[in-house]
Amino acid sequence: MTGPMRRTWGGVAKRVTGAWPPAAGWRATGRKAAATLAVAVALATASAPAAAQGRDSIPGVALGLLYATSSVPALAVKPFTGRFGGAAIASQVEAIIGRDLHNSDRFDVMDSLPADMAGGGQVDYQLWDHLGAVWLVTGQVEGAGDGFELVTELHDVVYEHVKEQGRFPIPDPSQPGFRMAVHRVSDQIVKWVTGDPGVAATRIAFAMATSDSTKQLYLVDSDGENLRRITNDPGLDLSPAWSPSGDSIAYGSIRGTTPSRIYMLDLATGKESMVPPVGHDAMETTPAFSPDGHTLAFTVDNGRTSRIYTYDLQHKCCAKAITDGRYYDLAPTYSPDGKRIAFNTMRFGTTVPQIMVMPADGGEAQLLSPYQYGNGGYYTSPDWSPRGDLIAFHGAIRAGTYHILVADMKDAGHKLRQLTWEGNNEDPSWAPDGRHIAFVGERRWGFGLMVVDVATGRLRTVVAGMRVSTPAWSPSLGGAP
Amino acid sequence: MIVRRFAVPVLAAMLVVAACGKKQPPPPPAPTGPTPEELAQRRADSIAAARRADSIAAARREAEAKAAAAAARARAVAAARTTLQEMVHFDFDKSDIRPDAEAILQRKVAILRASPDVQLQIQGYCDERGSEEYNLALGQRRAESVRKYLEGFGLSDSRFTIISYGEERPLDPAHNEDAWAQNRRDQFVITAGANAINPPSTSGN
Repeated sequence: MTGPMRRTWGGVAKRVTGAWPPAAGWRATGRKAAATLAVAVALATASAPAAAQGRDSIPGVALGLLYATSSVPALAVKPFTGRFGGAAIASQVEAIIGRDLHNSDRFDVMDSLPADMAGGGQVDYQLWDHLGAVWLVTGQVEGAGDGFELVTELHDVVYEHVKEQGRFPIPDPSQPGFRMAVHRVSDQIVKWVTGDPGVAATRIAFAMATSDSTKQLYLVDSDGENLRRITNDPGLDLSPAWSPSGDSIAYGSIRGTTPSRIYMLDLATGKESMVPPVGHDAMETTPAFSPDGHTLAFTVDNGRTSRIYTYDLQHKCCAKAITDGRYYDLAPTYSPDGKRIAFNTMRFGTTVPQIMVMPADGGEAQLLSPYQYGNGGYYTSPDWSPRGDLIAFHGAIRAGTYHILVADMKDAGHKLRQLTWEGNNEDPSWAPDGRHIAFVGERRWGFGLMVVDVATGRLRTVVAGMRVSTPAWSPSLGGAP
Repeated sequence: MIVRRFAVPVLAAMLVVAACGKKQPPPPPAPTGPTPEELAQRRADSIAAARRADSIAAARREAEAKAAAAAARARAVAAARTTLQEMVHFDFDKSDIRPDAEAILQRKVAILRASPDVQLQIQGYCDERGSEEYNLALGQRRAESVRKYLEGFGLSDSRFTIISYGEERPLDPAHNEDAWAQNRRDQFVITAGANAINPPSTSGN
């Protein structure tokens, strides 16, 4: 959708600068496209059950294209200006914000406009209205001491007024905190418009094999920049999980011939510590923090049974099993209120892993994934949305082909939606907005870290051509550099 | 120089004179033979020498046989070590022991019974399909199912540890069915008693 629109806009923009008024309405193009999409959605939804029977193999589950939001408002980014030395970085700041707003999937963004669209200090609302913009972002970068300040305004083009404005300190681009400071402005703009914070000021952790045949943890900014390795150990690190504060990451690691243990990495100091193992022979994997950060849940698997344990991080004690002995459970994830845990289980057979939900201190579990006796099914890697309404996991729709699925927790039947349709897709992890999901995508071109927007179904590739695994999206890093 | 040139002819002349002086007819030999005592002694000596030669040869044969036995045992121990380390393979998404794996495990059982000090780590591995977290669990079950099998033949559980590497460290990094079949496996590492491996006795004692 957005690609063609932006190209259309580029053509119009050139005509605009040459001769006013523009002949073609950008907005009309957008409306037509939106209408076409609506029809396509209706057709796909109507024919989904019939198609599902022939093509897909989850019995009784109708999978179809069904997006909550089929169109998003247009937002224009007026070319940023600068003064007191700020002009030098104005276009760099503007480019980061434009891309962040595009990645938010909440707008059709018109950015990278010709510099003479900056005009003077006044905003010509009629011009922007003609161009189809509903929102307009302006920015002026001012030199301030060692760094800069960004003065930004959000204009409501329809009602012709400044809706919000703010002044944000931005370090010099040579400083490590520069990009994150700009991302925070993007998140503020999203919040001004939608009331929900954006997720530009976040990072995604994941595991990846190194050339020395170890596996280490890496971090990448939400926009794919700033990729870097954060562990340096002789082991195989897997399944990172962020603490709610964003200060530390828990993960499983196999060191030599010692079964997997749970480690914690303090991101500020780089110091690693091991969570005391429950048994000497069992492997411990898939950690998850409770939303208050006081408890760590993880899997203890001795080969005979696999139980979910909790560990008291505040008192550094009191590891206890919260699932019973004869079961084979793993991969816990907390509900945002901390009262429940979704997890992966082999209770229905070791080759048909399913997703269940139970109270956070153990107890009766209820099936979430669409299991029907004798019909197989493979659902793993659950992650509970920070909004609480959805649980994401991945499943084999056809044998050997994995897709990202979300189950609706508000709906008694746990209505299931499929979010990916191409290649293989594994290990979903929610962004703090409860709207975006990072996952490992396998395509013809290779493996990559990808993001899907649950609301629009838009896909984007954050890191391409790398064999990433078990991604974990950070909480909002609004306060961290 | 002058002294040497002069000395050589004089010495030769002296040798000629000496030789001429010893030339006499030899006396007729006395008609003597070995006495019976001497003959008995020679026979005894000869028998003793033959016995000594025999015992040396016997000792050599014994040493050779010993060396051969030691070599055979070393070969048998090496073969036993190889058998202990021989990996077993699994079907896709399964941790059941296949018939071909059972044959291999039976050979391990015989060696482990004869070698009570030997301890093993059983390492479970998977192919790359499926999630990594699921595969860690699957590898653990593959290691455990072999441990359970070995314990079923009366071997103490204290002799085995298990570890899962999931889909890490594939034997064959290719992305095809042959590679996957190679990678779905248990490996065996001798963690104690590597110098106390006894091959299974074949004669029954």
